[in-house]
Amino acid sequence: MRLSTTRFLKILLSNFFIQTSWSFAAMQELGFLTSLKMVLSKDSQKKMIATHKGIFNTHPYMSSYIIGATVRAYDEGIDTPEEIKNFISISEKSFASAGDLLIWQTMRPALLLMATIVSLHFGIVGPILFLVLYTVFHLFHRIKGIYDGYSRGWDVIYCLKSTRFTSVQYLFENLGALSCGLLISLISLQINYLLIVPLSVFFILLLVRGISRVTIIVVFMLLLVLMAWTHL
Amino acid sequence: MNALTLSIIGSFIALDKYAFGEFGISQPLISGTIIGALYGDIGTGIFLGAILQLICLGGLPIGTDIPPDAQTAGIVGCGSYFILRLSNTPGHALLVATLLAFLTSILGGGTDIVLRHFHDRLFHRFQHDEERLYIYHFAGLFTSFLRTFLMFLIVFVTASLITVPPHLPQLSRQLFIIIGISMGLANASYLFVKNSTIVYTIVGGLCGLALLVS
Repeated sequence: MRLSTTRFLKILLSNFFIQTSWSFAAMQELGFLTSLKMVLSKDSQKKMIATHKGIFNTHPYMSSYIIGATVRAYDEGIDTPEEIKNFISISEKSFASAGDLLIWQTMRPALLLMATIVSLHFGIVGPILFLVLYTVFHLFHRIKGIYDGYSRGWDVIYCLKSTRFTSVQYLFENLGALSCGLLISLISLQINYLLIVPLSVFFILLLVRGISRVTIIVVFMLLLVLMAWTHL
Repeated sequence: MNALTLSIIGSFIALDKYAFGEFGISQPLISGTIIGALYGDIGTGIFLGAILQLICLGGLPIGTDIPPDAQTAGIVGCGSYFILRLSNTPGHALLVATLLAFLTSILGGGTDIVLRHFHDRLFHRFQHDEERLYIYHFAGLFTSFLRTFLMFLIVFVTASLITVPPHLPQLSRQLFIIIGISMGLANASYLFVKNSTIVYTIVGGLCGLALLVS
């Protein structure tokens, strides 16, 4: 089965708004239903609204895989809502976990770290580099996700084993580690910069011990004021 | 540029995280560049955005966890700096802007929770009125905009009223870099340094040293 260009563009555009009405009660449910409603026939829309009135939550970029597969299910006229519900229930968790690990935890911080170092050395090149590379990767998943979801149906979940997830994650983990070392290039050969050693160790200890982010930010602000006060 | 205009622009940038796209333009590095460009000092905007980015690097929105709002920190930090600089020394402006940025990032995490609870109501209304799905869904654009707009307006108006007495401590650019790199190193080590990647960190460190010496 093939998805027409108009329907593809409608899904892609609505996918940019998947988080717009994120709530604790339904998470991305309204965004998910909006994407489906935009491309389904009137009959399927009624069936769809009756079937999905619960919670939907996955990684925003990965939602396109699930939406693509769900649209296909309605196009094929699958008349057992349980089958669709089961697919969504399994796939939303799998894609959420894969997306969190690949995008939030690896790719975005690695690209930001690299872009930050580049921007502190070469100015505007850094932000442009980040925007270009990041856009290529997230748009790839959004576009390919819709096509793969629609063409592979329930089997779209096997995409999680493909190189676009495994190899790309490996690549960005290494880029992040490399950029971590490259941070040294930002320091100057002055005595004050030796402070970076104890401060980094202190912050790493806070992170490793699982101290909440809010507490770390408060500690950071207190340190900042203290150091400014003592004219360090 | 006045506080009102900056709040409107900042709120449009912040929509990137909360309501439209997640294209990455609300990250402190990018928002700092945009705000710097609007104030005609893109170099300072990139510098502030980059250091704030290093500090906020580890805040990850995993699952339903809501960490302090890095995007708000970037917009408030850069915007407040340029407002504060009009009536303060750069050192005072930097200290107050950084503190405002992170106080607002914590407040931003809290208001985000309130907003999402408000969106619960939109969902419940949809359950009783299914025909208006688009209205209830896209109302989130307005509520998300309003949340950040009100927050930014309060902070930017406050920043425009602050004049720090000259004898109070200042934050030098050097100290800001030191603490930024320290947080950046801690965040990056926590995220990326493992047994399997340590070789890359060492190679990066050696390249960094070579760049530093040259």
